[in-house]
Amino acid sequence: MSTTPVIEVEQLNLTYGDFHAVKDLSFEVRPGELYALLGTNGAGKTSTLEVVEGHRRPTSGAVRVFGHSPDNRRAVRPRMGVMLQESGFSPDLTVRESVGLIGRLTGRTDDVDRVLDLVDLSSRARRKVAQLSGGEKRRLDFATAVYGTPELIFLDEPTTGLDIQSRDAVWTSVDRLRENGATIVLTTHYLEEAQQRADRIGLMHQGTLHREGTVTELTRTLPAVIRFTIPAPAPAPALPLQAAVDVDGKVVIETFELQKDLHLLLGWAQDHAMDLRDLAAGPTRLDDVFRAINN
Amino acid sequence: MLSIASSELIQIFRNRLVLITSLIIPVVVSAYFVRQHDTFAGLGSLGYIAAIILFTITAFGLYTTAVTTLASRRQNLFLKRLRSTAATDTTILAGLLLPVVVLAGVQVTAILTALAVVASAPANIALLVVATTATLAMMIALALATAGLTNSPEHAQVTTLPVSLGVISVASWVGITGTENLAALKRLLPGGAATELTMNAWNGGVAVTDSLLLLAPTLGWVVVAVALATRLFRWEPRR
Repeated sequence: MSTTPVIEVEQLNLTYGDFHAVKDLSFEVRPGELYALLGTNGAGKTSTLEVVEGHRRPTSGAVRVFGHSPDNRRAVRPRMGVMLQESGFSPDLTVRESVGLIGRLTGRTDDVDRVLDLVDLSSRARRKVAQLSGGEKRRLDFATAVYGTPELIFLDEPTTGLDIQSRDAVWTSVDRLRENGATIVLTTHYLEEAQQRADRIGLMHQGTLHREGTVTELTRTLPAVIRFTIPAPAPAPALPLQAAVDVDGKVVIETFELQKDLHLLLGWAQDHAMDLRDLAAGPTRLDDVFRAINN
Repeated sequence: MLSIASSELIQIFRNRLVLITSLIIPVVVSAYFVRQHDTFAGLGSLGYIAAIILFTITAFGLYTTAVTTLASRRQNLFLKRLRSTAATDTTILAGLLLPVVVLAGVQVTAILTALAVVASAPANIALLVVATTATLAMMIALALATAGLTNSPEHAQVTTLPVSLGVISVASWVGITGTENLAALKRLLPGGAATELTMNAWNGGVAVTDSLLLLAPTLGWVVVAVALATRLFRWEPRR
């Protein structure tokens, strides 16, 4: 597989009037990877995506998609599918007409019925878009993005408003596209989706790339956490580890060596016949990386 | 372009409000002029009736509908959706506007044919076609410019009034009073020269070369409107 980046962003700046939405942003997305662009609200992810998708011109900086300017629709668009954050379908067209129209205009070929079946909208094919639920509209959007199996797919909050079955179905389809080598750019507010699926994550904050790396790279800078509660009245023997204990007996231990420290703790509990209630231990989650942004 | 145009046509026919304002009302008004042609020909001439029909249809059937359509497609992000495909901006606009242009062209042709049948035929059909084409071009260019100033389909009900009522007033003024007085002003106002050209084509009696000069102001308005449209037109709602 070629290692030329699918997307290259260099020193991108975007301003709206006085507001500097994106500042000197550089990143690249490699072939076949799932790159998650995450960030706090107003971090500049949507602005960045809109420039990369070709909906907005950068104030300065260079953006290339498959080596072309995103403005070069004839060269770029047939190779990429876009799922927009807001639907943008005509309420007076049916589901089938919408997929057929937008699909044809991408320059790719596909079977409308196959695509509708993929997103489980076959039974809604003759319905007008105005009659669809929010989740069905998201699936319609996904259908137009994957029409003709493009090499690059932008998923801007793909699963917002979807029930769990639809969400799983979307990810199954994405997995299948990835098996065929598709590159995915994802934004989402569901961090566990990014944690589970992203090869790399770009974490934006106030218009810049705050952190970038694999999930492990991002999370290992923060400690893992062990939590439990000790029965309140009992004067507990000294804990074997540095811990924060509150008045209700809730204990929080932060550690960079989860396995070793957990083993130590369990041994200590066994020796002292301690009951560690509500014991939970886990790796650092992306949520914690997010919470740490402002600190 | 044709796939956008055909989907647009479907949308027009599925939306009763658009169908009524863009098709039914102009046709009813025009039919009234044709039926009462003796009265209106007495007021001006048959050429005046032809001009007023041309402007009734292009102002409401074409111009107002085009502005409303563009504002509505922008508001629900359909324009943005179309722009996320391989279609170019020109293709998208051409596809969106083609159905209303064709519908207006068909309406003008049908009603002027009816006028020719019940009254008398135009003196110079070719010149009439030229006048009609130039008017369609001017109105569609004005629609693109106006769409840039229009935030929503509801807003279009207000933003389209100056041009739609303006051109019909100018057409009536020129059609009834002629261009003996204030000729320069009347010809420079949008629709003025096109009205005179239409009257010349229908009534005859004016040299074709003189008539063709009247195309210049109309085409000038096309240029002005396109220049405005390139500065004002927006593809996405303000945020």
